[in-house]
Amino acid sequence: MFRNLITTGVAAAVGAAAAIGVPAMGQAPQPSQPAATRPAPVRPAAYNPPRLADGHPDLNGIWQALNEANYDIEAHNARPALALRTGPYGPVPATAVIALGAVGSVPPGLGVVEGGELPYRPQALAQRKKNQEDWLTSDPEIKCYLPGVPRATYMPYPFQIIQSTKQIMMVFEFAGALRTIYMADQTEAPADSWMGWSNGRWEGETLIVDTTGFNDLSWFDRAGNFHSDALHVVERYSLVDPDHINYTVTIEDPKVFTRPWNMNMVLYRHKEKNFQLYEYECYGFDFENIYPYPDLGAAR
Amino acid sequence: MNTKNLIIAFGIGIALSLTTAPLQGQGQGGAANRPAAAKPWPPQKLSDGQPDVQGIWAAVNGGSTSLTNPISGGEDFDRRVTGENIRRPSRVIDPPDGLLPYQPWAAARQKRQESDYEHPSKPEHIDTQHRCLISGIPRLYTIVPSFRIIQIPGSVVFVWDEYHAYRVIPLDGRPHIAPNVKLWIGDARGHWEGNTLVVDTTNLRGARLTYIGDFFSENAHVTERMTFVDADNMTYQATVDDPTVFTRPWTFRIGHRRRPDDETWESACWEGNPDPDVWLKK
Repeated sequence: MFRNLITTGVAAAVGAAAAIGVPAMGQAPQPSQPAATRPAPVRPAAYNPPRLADGHPDLNGIWQALNEANYDIEAHNARPALALRTGPYGPVPATAVIALGAVGSVPPGLGVVEGGELPYRPQALAQRKKNQEDWLTSDPEIKCYLPGVPRATYMPYPFQIIQSTKQIMMVFEFAGALRTIYMADQTEAPADSWMGWSNGRWEGETLIVDTTGFNDLSWFDRAGNFHSDALHVVERYSLVDPDHINYTVTIEDPKVFTRPWNMNMVLYRHKEKNFQLYEYECYGFDFENIYPYPDLGAAR
Repeated sequence: MNTKNLIIAFGIGIALSLTTAPLQGQGQGGAANRPAAAKPWPPQKLSDGQPDVQGIWAAVNGGSTSLTNPISGGEDFDRRVTGENIRRPSRVIDPPDGLLPYQPWAAARQKRQESDYEHPSKPEHIDTQHRCLISGIPRLYTIVPSFRIIQIPGSVVFVWDEYHAYRVIPLDGRPHIAPNVKLWIGDARGHWEGNTLVVDTTNLRGARLTYIGDFFSENAHVTERMTFVDADNMTYQATVDDPTVFTRPWTFRIGHRRRPDDETWESACWEGNPDPDVWLKK
């Protein structure tokens, strides 16, 4: 028991480190620091997570990212509005969103992309600029379309990992999106789709999900970052303590990017008592009140 | 087990599936012609004591046309082409006449919605399924696409991959959510009685139940009993109690069967849905 307590303590410390912005765990120590004064490297604690009957780590739970990646996956300043137009001295809010004021502004973010700017091909960079300029009519999130992967994971809403010994699924509040992670009977994607076709496997304590078969319609964020139908996403989910998942994503899309690149962030477990997903069926907002018929209220 | 016992067990199995799931096997040769169950029965117990019923399932005769005359899509087409009045046994088992016990105003409303469905001139005449709104509880158990049951410690999860609809049913007896929250999928609390999953569903939005305009209000309370009668068959039974619309609670029943070979693809209905004007007759 005593030994377990110590292990838990180490795990909590690692989790805290991950939580306060040391995303790339196991990164080499800063070379500028003289070796003699460098603190002894903290070995990544081999966290021993709770397991299902099949011996694999139990990822069941309701999770959520706590970052501003859905606004812009890259590091960014706060911006006055989601949709901007050219003003006399710089960008100002587009007319359609002025009234939202600070509520419609963009909070700053550390970014979740590793290694600096996204490696866009020149033509794709021009497309991103166009996406930003046409954001109000172009972002699929505005239309409540399925968010794609990995955007679904870091939208600012909860999602649930449903893991039995036979099956893993991920269900999302936003737009009722869901993913089936095929752990057995794996096949190639039968057709292109918004959420892709996901095959999963365990590598030690890490769940690796390999997803292909995307269409070219979803985006990465509200800043116009996008992909083509050549998108290939590899995600790694590792519990670093009972309530934190270290989440790393490798994005490969040779039509849009010159090389693969990574995102890294922490997913946090919802601990509220009796927490559960609600519905965020935003596509129905325009017409849901006319069912079962428009004036049912009058019948009561 | 000797031969005599085997025969008795088989006979009881047939009797059970006939008495508890009258709709099963219709037009499919009946229970006696089905191959022997390949899955273990009684089911294995999961670590939290639940009977393991995971897998892909679907209604035997699925469809949204009607609960009281549940003809298939093909039969509906035939009916429209030939004018023949095709009748199938009602899925409503209580009241005994097989009809929905509407209050008079609601019966008139349903008739109007049935007529509107045939001759739509306004968006609200179009059924919610065609608008890509999520079909809620209990309608999701009456439709064609298959669903997946996944059991995790303390919960049973139903997922309709194709409709990207899901419902997580906690088994821990936690209280229902705040009464002002209304969900198409409702708020479900479940428990197992042997091999029957009993689910208490509240917080429902008022919704359409069928193409022919059947409906309930946001005051509906649905009690579901999903009885796994053998390795491959489940009887779904739902009792709808809605004093706003009906004179009394009513119950319908639909047989479901394992469909292990079904593939489930994303349908992305809303993402490709046309303007409702294309369906309207103006």
